[in-house]
Amino acid sequence: MNPQVLIDGLMAGALYGLGAIGVTLTYSILRFANFAHSELLTFGAYAALALSSALGALSAGLLEPIAPFSFGWALPLAGLVAVALTGLLALAVDAILFGRLRHRRSSIIVMVMASFGAALTLRSLIEFAFTSKPAYFTRELQIALPLGQGMRATPDQLLSLALAAILVIGVHLLLTRTAIGRSMRAVSENQALAGVVGVDVRRVIRVVWLLGAALACIAGIMSGLLVQLRPYMGFDLLLPLFAAAILGGIGSVPGAMLAGLIVGLAEAATVQLVGAEWRTAVAFVILVLVLLLRPQGLLGRAQA
Amino acid sequence: MSVELVAYGCFFLTMALTYAIMCLGLNLQWGQTGLFNVGIAGFVAVGAYVSALLTTPDVADRLGGFGLPMPLGWLGGSLSAALIAYLVGRLTIRLRADYLAIATFGIAAAVQLLALNLEPVTGGPFGIGFIPRPFAGRAGDPLLFSVLNLALVAAVVLLLYMALERLVRSPWGRVLRAIREDEPAALALGKNANRFRLQAFAIGGGIMGLAGAVQAHFIGFIAPENYLPMLTFQVWAMLIVGGSGNNRGAILGAVLVWGIWALSAAFISATFEPGQQARAASLQIALIGVAICAVLLLRPQGVLGEARVVSRHLLEAVGSRKIRVATDAQPVRQPPE
Amino acid sequence: MSAAPAPPPALATRDLVAGYERDLPIVRGIDFSVRQGEFVVILGPNGAGKSTLVKAIAGLVPIHSGSTHLAGEDITLSPVQEKVRHGLAFVPQTENIFATLSIRENLQLAADILPRGRQAAQIDEVYSLFPDLASRRGARAGNLSGGQRQMLAVARALVVKPSVLILDEPSAGLSPKIVGEVFARLKALNGAGITIVLVEQNVKAALAVADRAVILVEGKLRHEGPAATLSSDPIVGELYLGARARQGENGR
Repeated sequence: MNPQVLIDGLMAGALYGLGAIGVTLTYSILRFANFAHSELLTFGAYAALALSSALGALSAGLLEPIAPFSFGWALPLAGLVAVALTGLLALAVDAILFGRLRHRRSSIIVMVMASFGAALTLRSLIEFAFTSKPAYFTRELQIALPLGQGMRATPDQLLSLALAAILVIGVHLLLTRTAIGRSMRAVSENQALAGVVGVDVRRVIRVVWLLGAALACIAGIMSGLLVQLRPYMGFDLLLPLFAAAILGGIGSVPGAMLAGLIVGLAEAATVQLVGAEWRTAVAFVILVLVLLLRPQGLLGRAQA
Repeated sequence: MSVELVAYGCFFLTMALTYAIMCLGLNLQWGQTGLFNVGIAGFVAVGAYVSALLTTPDVADRLGGFGLPMPLGWLGGSLSAALIAYLVGRLTIRLRADYLAIATFGIAAAVQLLALNLEPVTGGPFGIGFIPRPFAGRAGDPLLFSVLNLALVAAVVLLLYMALERLVRSPWGRVLRAIREDEPAALALGKNANRFRLQAFAIGGGIMGLAGAVQAHFIGFIAPENYLPMLTFQVWAMLIVGGSGNNRGAILGAVLVWGIWALSAAFISATFEPGQQARAASLQIALIGVAICAVLLLRPQGVLGEARVVSRHLLEAVGSRKIRVATDAQPVRQPPE
Repeated sequence: MSAAPAPPPALATRDLVAGYERDLPIVRGIDFSVRQGEFVVILGPNGAGKSTLVKAIAGLVPIHSGSTHLAGEDITLSPVQEKVRHGLAFVPQTENIFATLSIRENLQLAADILPRGRQAAQIDEVYSLFPDLASRRGARAGNLSGGQRQMLAVARALVVKPSVLILDEPSAGLSPKIVGEVFARLKALNGAGITIVLVEQNVKAALAVADRAVILVEGKLRHEGPAATLSSDPIVGELYLGARARQGENGR
């Protein structure tokens, strides 16, 4: 097998991992599979695109690539604002839709269906606003650097990988070392008891939306930078994200990252060994295998 | 002129009724049982492809066809879809409720991928043509041909409707609703809820497969792009508009939404220049999404079925065992015998 | 009356009606009050509404009408997470610890509502009360035995120095020896000034440690009196047996 598989798989896997961490966190706290999570990814990417174009129009210098990368300062600046906007969008959807259903004690499946409706709306509105034509953050070409053993990666790819690693460690520390992280784990295990102990569950839910949205936005920007932007970019990631979240074990951040890498590497290997046209089947096969063999996931705890 | 109009009317209605079949299948899964299927397109595609494979004449560069009679194709199509539904259900129904949703989402993607890439069987992106059409001998007379086709599909819908109505009113159907509305109560009565749900899910999947087969034979040609996730969304919109839990509503919703869809599509192609048409169409889809959310928020009872007759009794029967409330003012609630 | 105003009760309810469903109240109009420093046990047959009463006070069961007061302050409408900040700590009957968190994290979670400077001291104080927990502070709470879990649940409630501690059947599922230990611990805490309200099925053990008992039957307060006299009062048995007779085979 070509060692480049490792790089390709790690790249895709880091992306899946970031997205799956958002899925797994919101899932463990809100207790339903959010089909609209992928649209936060798409929204974040397009928000960053619109903002960085606007910044570029204000000052062309901001579009000047920061060597050795392919993008200028406009993108990271726009990315920060896009993270905030994506968080606001998540809070708004929660206020309009999920919060009300939660308040009414709707069943899991009603929540899932609502997320499905929200996803459809968001995706189509994005398509309406930006058309289905692929878009790009930058047209700059990058030369892949040799890494030895016949492996190559562009500076953008290496940066994304490093960013993903930093974010995963950051989220893990947040969950294990801080008061809000403790509250999140408590709510995820037993919401009623968390309230009794003094945890403001509604605040925890808001924080989880913000965190999930921020990670989704960054994953979206990474995907847009490394591949391209399309209104369906998030939708196409939905199955790998769910597969990774379930494989990792719902609620487990290290599990989601590890599973994201597994899905990414398995896809890259499939492309090499079987053929690129079967790449999207990998996530489904992994999903079926997990549900069949270990429904609680790799690092998850067994549920009754 | 008027002959053409009638022929078009028949064509439109026939198409709408094929969606009505899908909608009836979904109603059994969601409306009656509360199982969330996000992969309708996959089950429809399985029915269509299997039936096409079984009934098309032998072709050189592809597996089959087997040239079997059409009814066998329909039967094979729905049985295969039912089998897939059974397997998916078997895998996930015992797990969390939303794992089924994720798995059906995955199965639709997998079926789409197989249709696209398994060229020796499915014809790949070009699909399968020359699928035998009912009453093909009468194709020379467009009016008679379209009326006959409409009559056939309408008969299928009617038979299915009657069968489903009987099923819903049978003890089996009552257990389904009990499970949907209050699972602990149904379990307390000693019913194995998952077995009933699995049966409903498989039958619903089979009905979707039948719809795929009927539609494939009516159009005479199938390709992977007919079974994109869009199809799933449309069928959901139909069931929601028609009123979930209600078979007549499912049929009506299918005709209505298909009508609105066809009209708005015609409007879009007449109003917008070709470059903007796809864009305008995305607003159509956004509307479906808004409709789903709005119904959940504003008319939740419209989504989760009609009267909660069964569950009330079950709830009280079980509830009174745990909490018996009685004073002089309020007599003890007796569980129904 | 013209006497000097008595201090407000540590905990009180006024005509409290509560239950999970609007049309099915389980607590059906209860006036109940506990003096500062008192140890009160709530008794009653199965399904009398004991648990629902304390859960409603803690904010876990919807209150339909009436009110709850803590040291004279109306806390009926304060959300569940605020009650502990008012000084009301509640230990649920089951699932009363976070099994996936360590002992230290369970206690730290409770301490998170305190000012940062007081957290460590409070946790250390609780450790000194429960040396068994202190020696295993890094262990996952899910790995503890039943008695240790109960101790951790009480310890976690004590971290915030509550004025009132409510416990819902802490003896459930524990061996008689462990029950004795738990109750002795509660008695000691009460001696240190904490007002305690205990819901119990274990009548004998509870009356042995409590100052006063109230008996609920079918969602209403039917009888109350000093624990010492109630233990020999035939009315207790009558209320239990009477309710059991009406309940038929549904009683335990």
